[in-house]
Amino acid sequence: MLEENAKLWNIKHEVLCQVAKAVYAGTLEEVRDQIPYQMIPGPQARFRCCIYREREIIRQRVRLAEGKAPNEAEQDQNIIQVINSACEGCPITRFTVTDNCRKCISKKCQQACNFGAISMTKDHAYIDPAKCKECGKCANACPYNAIADLMRPCKKACPVDAITWDEYKIVHIDEAKCIRCGACIGNCPFGAIGERSFIVDVINLINAKKPVYACIAPAIEGQFGKDVSMGVLREAIKDLGFTDVYEVALGGDLVAESEAKEWAEARKEGQKKTTSCCPAFVNLVKKHYPAVLEHVSTTVSPMAAISRYLKQQDEDAIVVFIGPCVAKKGEVLDHVADKTADYVLTFEELDAMFQAKEIEFSNYEGEMQQGSIYGKRFSQSGGVTKAVLQVLGELGEDTDIKVKQCNGALECKKALMLLKIGRLPEDFVEGMACEGGCVKGPGSVARDQVAARDRETLLAKADHRTIRENIQAFHAEGVEMHIHP
Amino acid sequence: MNITVCIGSSCHLKGSREIVTKLQELVRKEKLEESIELTGSFCMGQCVRGVCVTIDGTLYSLSPEQTEGFFYKEVMGRLTP
Repeated sequence: MLEENAKLWNIKHEVLCQVAKAVYAGTLEEVRDQIPYQMIPGPQARFRCCIYREREIIRQRVRLAEGKAPNEAEQDQNIIQVINSACEGCPITRFTVTDNCRKCISKKCQQACNFGAISMTKDHAYIDPAKCKECGKCANACPYNAIADLMRPCKKACPVDAITWDEYKIVHIDEAKCIRCGACIGNCPFGAIGERSFIVDVINLINAKKPVYACIAPAIEGQFGKDVSMGVLREAIKDLGFTDVYEVALGGDLVAESEAKEWAEARKEGQKKTTSCCPAFVNLVKKHYPAVLEHVSTTVSPMAAISRYLKQQDEDAIVVFIGPCVAKKGEVLDHVADKTADYVLTFEELDAMFQAKEIEFSNYEGEMQQGSIYGKRFSQSGGVTKAVLQVLGELGEDTDIKVKQCNGALECKKALMLLKIGRLPEDFVEGMACEGGCVKGPGSVARDQVAARDRETLLAKADHRTIRENIQAFHAEGVEMHIHP
Repeated sequence: MNITVCIGSSCHLKGSREIVTKLQELVRKEKLEESIELTGSFCMGQCVRGVCVTIDGTLYSLSPEQTEGFFYKEVMGRLTP
């Protein structure tokens, strides 16, 4: 299984890498159509039934890498896209009778079914898929737990029920419901869901000698091993053609300070607040719980904060946020006029650029720390809360605050529902759509225990400056921290 | 009403950021924040026609200099029946 996932990941990585190489060389126009043939020379298929389908999948992945919809006929603007040639149309009927069925005398399943979908075969009960309405009453009724609830992996992964399919069972994502969390991307075992990329745009602007700055999200520490520190990354990323590199953790410090003030204020007025740094969480509120929108903090995200800080110093700066997040791509599009980052890349895309430019980390050294340890931990579940409480402590405010830390979209949904009906016991909500926080985001390159350990090794080297000290040291007090400057 | 500006690299080099800033200023000047939503988009695949701007899906191509004229003719024209 691990090997299969690695294979899928490799295909995505290889396409991004080929595209990046071509854009750096200025030859994408000429080689675009050759990439599928280079990767699948034939006559043997590499991962699917035949080379023709494999080449079509790669052709569609190249389109995604260029920021286009994989399928020319597709009109929707969503970041998350189905690679329809790769979708297996998984023929899963949701409720299936397993061998645990004793074909008992009481036949509770048959009694429970309101649609006459259950009959008895020689050995056990049978559910007619044509009649089944997927209500689940039979599964609940069976005393032997003999009826399994199976779901297509993409649909199961989606926290907002945005996955549907057509008559051929090819998946469609409902743009109106999708919060762009990217959970489906990593959970499709056929790699049939991907996201649009800005990688071509970013390299084009680097080639055009524009001042392109990279802002690296705090989740990056640990992604490339225990020896690849922020200082090493800064030098390596500069060799990709970026003008300079900044830590988004400094933006995290700014957000913590701004939200601490908001929380203190809200508390005096008896109001409840939620965080606003996770774009998938914000999408969840906007699209599914609009009634609680007034509770969402008006502080911008750490990405926007660091972008504004940078643009104060160089107004021509083109800011590229590099993180583990897919929803951030949507955040820059939705806030195009709000002085946020100009483009977003994922760690996967950054990794492809490193390979395209044959970057060897062992050739680099350097030291850099621009964020406090609290800003650096923003990317872990509970990290935002800790940072905000730290600032409240630094300000001498009351830190005895009850915060609901929602680890993953399902917990976010529960808290938002309680907030909506006025039953949320806590004062504040920290919302993170990815379980574990940004460090487990869909655009990361390593989500395993080794990465977590490497991360701790790197974070242990950070000094213990306070958040407000750090903001002052970078002269960042004047950054406008609320939406719509 | 939704105005979408392409932020692909080709349109960026032709001044899409300037157009976004100008449109934002005009929206504020005319106090239309409530009725106009300004967003960006991935490359629209019409790079030769850039900078690509759509109003509710209809494609226009404009330069930063044409932004004000475009705003009063096409945007305001649609808003005032």
